[in-house]
Amino acid sequence: MEVITLRDVTKKYRSFKVLDQITLDIRRNVITGVVGRNGAGKTTLMKMIAGFTKETSGELRVFGERPFNSLTVSANMIFVDDRMGFPDAFKLEDILIECDRFYENWDDELAKRLLEYFQLPLTFKHRVLSKGKRSTFNAVIGIASRCPLTMFDEPITGMDAAARKDFYRALLKDYIAHPRTILLSSHHMEEMEDLLEDILLIDGKGVGFHGPIIDLQEKFLSLQGKANALETYATRYAIIHRSMAGPLTEWIVDNEYSEAELNELRQAGIRVAGVTASDAYLAMTGQAGGGVDDVFNAMERQ
Amino acid sequence: MLEIDGEKPIYLQIAEWLEKEIIDGTLKADDKVYSQYQLAELFNINPATAGKGLTILLDAELIYKKRGLGTFVSSNAREKLLEKRKDFTLRRLVRELLDEAKLLGIEEQQLIRLIESERKGRA
Repeated sequence: MEVITLRDVTKKYRSFKVLDQITLDIRRNVITGVVGRNGAGKTTLMKMIAGFTKETSGELRVFGERPFNSLTVSANMIFVDDRMGFPDAFKLEDILIECDRFYENWDDELAKRLLEYFQLPLTFKHRVLSKGKRSTFNAVIGIASRCPLTMFDEPITGMDAAARKDFYRALLKDYIAHPRTILLSSHHMEEMEDLLEDILLIDGKGVGFHGPIIDLQEKFLSLQGKANALETYATRYAIIHRSMAGPLTEWIVDNEYSEAELNELRQAGIRVAGVTASDAYLAMTGQAGGGVDDVFNAMERQ
Repeated sequence: MLEIDGEKPIYLQIAEWLEKEIIDGTLKADDKVYSQYQLAELFNINPATAGKGLTILLDAELIYKKRGLGTFVSSNAREKLLEKRKDFTLRRLVRELLDEAKLLGIEEQQLIRLIESERKGRA
C-alpha cells in the first residue's frame, strides 16, 4: 500500500520550476533516503508532502488526501528539520507536553529517556540550545512522536559524530519496534545508507532514481587502472563517471558484463570492484567530465 | 559491526556471515536462525536488507521455514557450504593470488615456496 502518491506533480516558485512533473509512490512502512545535490528540490518535495506548501500542478496524495490544509495529514505526520519553530518562551518540557497532546502515538517516556541520554535538560529553553543540541532535540521529537509518516530533512545538521551514530541507531531500533513510513534526507549518504530500504534521488528537477537501495548498489561497477590500460576499453563501455582515484583513473560503468569480460579486465591489470550506494549516487549526480579539476585545468591552459 | 569492505552489498555480507556461523558450527542443524529483525538490530541495518540476506540462504535451501516458528538450519547445510566454499571461494582466492603474483612479477616456483613457508609457519 502507498502512503504517498505523486502524479505529474510540478512545483514552481514564481516562474522558477523547482520540480517538474514528478510521478512516484512511497510504500507504507519503508525507510526512504531522499538524496540529491544542494538545491535539487529535496526540501521542497518533502514540504509539499507535509502540506506546508502547495503543489503548482499535478496530483499529490498523502494518506489518500491532498496534504495542503489537511488535518488528517497534519495529525499523522511530523516534519523535522533544523528550523522547527517553537515559541521562544517554551522550555523543552513544555514542548513535550504539547507533543503529547497533539500526537496520538507519542511516547513520553522514550522522549524523556532519550533527552536525558543526550544531556538535554528539560528546563532549558529551545532557543538557547546550540545548533547540534537543537538538531538532537528535534530528532528526538521526530522519533518519539511515532507518526505514521515521519520526515527528517537534514536531521543531523550540527550533530557531532557520536550523536549522529546514536540518532541513526535510535531511529532504527524504534522503527523495528514500531514500523512507520520514514523519509530521511541527508548529504551524508554513506552514514545512513545501511538504514535505508529505498532511495529516492532527486536530480534535474525530476526523479533520477527511485527503488531499493540494493538495486542502486548493483547498478554500477568501478574499474580502476592506469589510464592507458583503461583507454583500450573506452569504446566498449558506457562510462557513467570518470574520476581520478589517486594516480589511477576510475570509471564507473553499468554493471552488465559477463564474468569472462571481467576476467579479461582483471588480467589487463584493471581492478574491478562493486560500487556502494553513496558512490553510485555521487557518480549519478556529479557533473560530467573531470569534476572540479576541469576548472583548474582550464585555468592552467590559459 | 561487520568489517565492511565497502564493495559487497550488506545483504551479501549478512548471508556470508550466516554461512560462516554454520560452517564453524555456531549454528548447528535444526538450530533456530536469527530473524530479520534480530539481524537488523545486530548489524544496525534495515530489516529489509537483513531479510534479503536470509532469502539467499533460503533459496539455497541452507535454512528452512517453519510456519509461525521461524527459520532453522537445514540438516545438510554445513556439507553443502563446505562443498561450495572449496569449489568457489578457494578458486576465487587462488585467482586473485595469481593476479597479484603476476602484477608483482613473482614466478610460479617462488609462489609455491611462499605457500609452503606459510603452511610451515602454522604447523
